[in-house]
Amino acid sequence: MSTIAETSSQRQTRRRVRVDGWRWGGRIFLVLMLLYTALPMVWMLLTSIKSGFAAMQLPPQWWPDQPTLDSYQKLLDPQNSVGQDFLRFFWNSLFVSTATTILSVIVAVPAAYAFSRFTFPGRNFLFFAVLLRNMFPAVIFLVPLFILMRAIGLVNTHGSLILTYLTFGLPLAIWLLKGFYDNIPVQLEQAARIDGATRFQAFVLIVMPLSAPGIIATAIYSFIGAWNEYIYAYTFLSKNEQLTLPVGIQRFFSENTTDFPGLMAASFMMSVPVVVLFLLLQRYFVRALTEGAVKH
Amino acid sequence: MTIVTGSKTEARLRLQSGRSGLPRKVWQHRADYAYVLPAIAVMLVVIAYPIYYTIELSFFNTPPGLQLRDKIFVGFNNYTAILTSEVFWQVTLNTLIWTFASTFVSFVLGFATALALHRDFIGRGVLRAILIIPWVISAVAASYIWKWIYHSDFGIIGAVLVELGLASRPPNFIDSVSTVLPSLIVVNIWREFPFAMIMMMAGLQTVPEQLLRAAKVDGANAWQRFWHVTFPHLRNVSTVTILLLAVANFNSFIIPWIMTGGGPSNASHIWITHIYELAFGRQRWGVAAAYSVLLFLILMTLGYFYVRALSGNERREAKA
Repeated sequence: MSTIAETSSQRQTRRRVRVDGWRWGGRIFLVLMLLYTALPMVWMLLTSIKSGFAAMQLPPQWWPDQPTLDSYQKLLDPQNSVGQDFLRFFWNSLFVSTATTILSVIVAVPAAYAFSRFTFPGRNFLFFAVLLRNMFPAVIFLVPLFILMRAIGLVNTHGSLILTYLTFGLPLAIWLLKGFYDNIPVQLEQAARIDGATRFQAFVLIVMPLSAPGIIATAIYSFIGAWNEYIYAYTFLSKNEQLTLPVGIQRFFSENTTDFPGLMAASFMMSVPVVVLFLLLQRYFVRALTEGAVKH
Repeated sequence: MTIVTGSKTEARLRLQSGRSGLPRKVWQHRADYAYVLPAIAVMLVVIAYPIYYTIELSFFNTPPGLQLRDKIFVGFNNYTAILTSEVFWQVTLNTLIWTFASTFVSFVLGFATALALHRDFIGRGVLRAILIIPWVISAVAASYIWKWIYHSDFGIIGAVLVELGLASRPPNFIDSVSTVLPSLIVVNIWREFPFAMIMMMAGLQTVPEQLLRAAKVDGANAWQRFWHVTFPHLRNVSTVTILLLAVANFNSFIIPWIMTGGGPSNASHIWITHIYELAFGRQRWGVAAAYSVLLFLILMTLGYFYVRALSGNERREAKA
C-alpha cells in the first residue's frame, strides 16, 4: 500500500517538473519575442528624441544626453514648411482611409449577408471569386488600373485610391462578416418576420446590431489597410498636396537622407493612429477572426 | 456579370416558360443578387478588366511613355525573353527563398507565441497587444525603423557588435550581396509573425478543453497532448494561415523596395519589385505584363489550394 502511494507521488512530482520545464521554456521564449518585437520600436522612440548630431555618434548614445522634442515640433508646426507638408499628408491619409472604411462597410454588409443566408445559383463561385482577389499582387493591377484611372480622369485624385482600396478590404471583410452571420440563428429573423417585419427590417433591426462586433472588425481592417497602403498611392499620385503619409514621408526623406531623428519621429506619428485604434478595438478583431475565420 | 446573366435568363425564361432548371432558379433568386451586386461590380471594374488588359499587353511591344496606340504585336517574344534572361532566374530564386523562409519562420514563431500565450498569466493582455503592434504599423514605417537599425555607420546592431568586441567595425547588413536578403527577411518576419499568432490564438480557442483534460487523465504528457489533441484540431487554421502568409510574402513589395530598391546588384529583388521596376522604372510595359501573367499562373495554382482548404473547412462544417 505504502509503496503504491510512494510511486504515485513520485510520478506526480516528476510530471510537475516536466510541466514546469515547458512553462519556463514558454516564458523565456515570450521574453525573447518581446525583445525582438519591442526593441526596434524603443530604438525608434529614443532616436526620435535625439538631435541630428546626437543620433550619429559611435559608440551611440544609448540614452540621449539631451532629450529634445524638436523633431516632433517641426513636424507639427503649421508655420514650418516641413510641418505644413506633414500635416497635409496626415489629413489626406485620414480622409482616404475614412472614406474607404465607410464605403467598405456599406458594400460588404449586404454582400456577406447574402452569401450567408441565400442560396442562389453561383453563390459559391461568386464567393470564391471575391476571395481570390486576395491572391493577386497589386503590381498585376497597377499598369492597367493606372491607364483606367487616367481614362476616367481619376489620376491624382483621392477617388482613385478609395476605389482601389475598397477592393483590398472587401474580400476579408465579406469573409469575416459571413462567419458572423452564419452564427446568428435564422430563427431570430424568422420571428421578426412573423411579427410583421419585412426582410429588410429584420436585417436592419435584428441582424445588424448582433453583428456589430464583426462590422467594427471589418472597419478596423479597412482603415488600417488604407492608412498603410503604399504602392497605389505611390503610383497614382504625383502632386505634392495630394500625397498620403507613407508616400509623403518617403518622398520627403529621400531628399533629407540624414535626418534620422525626423524620420523616426515621422514613422512614430504615422503609426500612432492605427496602433491606438487597434489597441482600443482589438478584442472585436480577435473575436471576429475566431468566429468568422477560424470556426468556419 | 450578374446583371448580364439576370437579363439573359429573363429573356430565355420568356422563351421557354414553364421549363425548370438553372435559368428559372436564377430568376427566382433575382432579388438575392442585388445584395452582392455592389461588391461584384467594384470587383469587376478593378479586377477583371486589369487582368484582361495585362494578358493582352503581354503580347505587345510597347514604346516608353505609355503611348499604347503605337504598341506592336510580338507574340510570345516577351515570354521567351524573360525565361532566357539570367536576371529572371536570380529573381525567382530570391523570391523562393524570401517566400519560404518568411512563411515558415513567421508561422513557427507565431504558433509558438500563441501556445505560450494560451495559459492565462498577469500581463498577458498587455504582452499580446505589444506583440501585435508590428503587424499594425505601416510597412513603410517598419522599413525605415529597420533601415536605421541596420545603418552601416550608426546602426545599433553594428554598434552592439563592436561594443561586445564581436566585430572590429560595424558590418554591412543591407549593402552587401550575401547578407541583404536574410536581413530583409528578419524585418518581414518581424512584421508578419503577429498575424500567424492571432490566427493560431483564435484557433486554439476552438480546441475542446475536455479532450485535453481527458488526455491528461490518461497520462499523456504535454508534448503528446499537443501532438495528438491540439495540433489535429488546428490543421485547417494552420493551412489557411500558411497559405495567406505565403501569398502575402509572394506579393511583398514595400520592405525590399524602400530598404534597398532591389539592390545591391539585384540581390534583394523579388518578383514584384522587379516587375515594378520594369514597368515604371524602365517603361517596358509589355515585358512587365508578361511577368505579371507568369506570376498570375503561379498564384492561380496557389489559389487552387487556398480555395480547396477553405471549401474543405466548409464541407467539414456542413457535416458537423
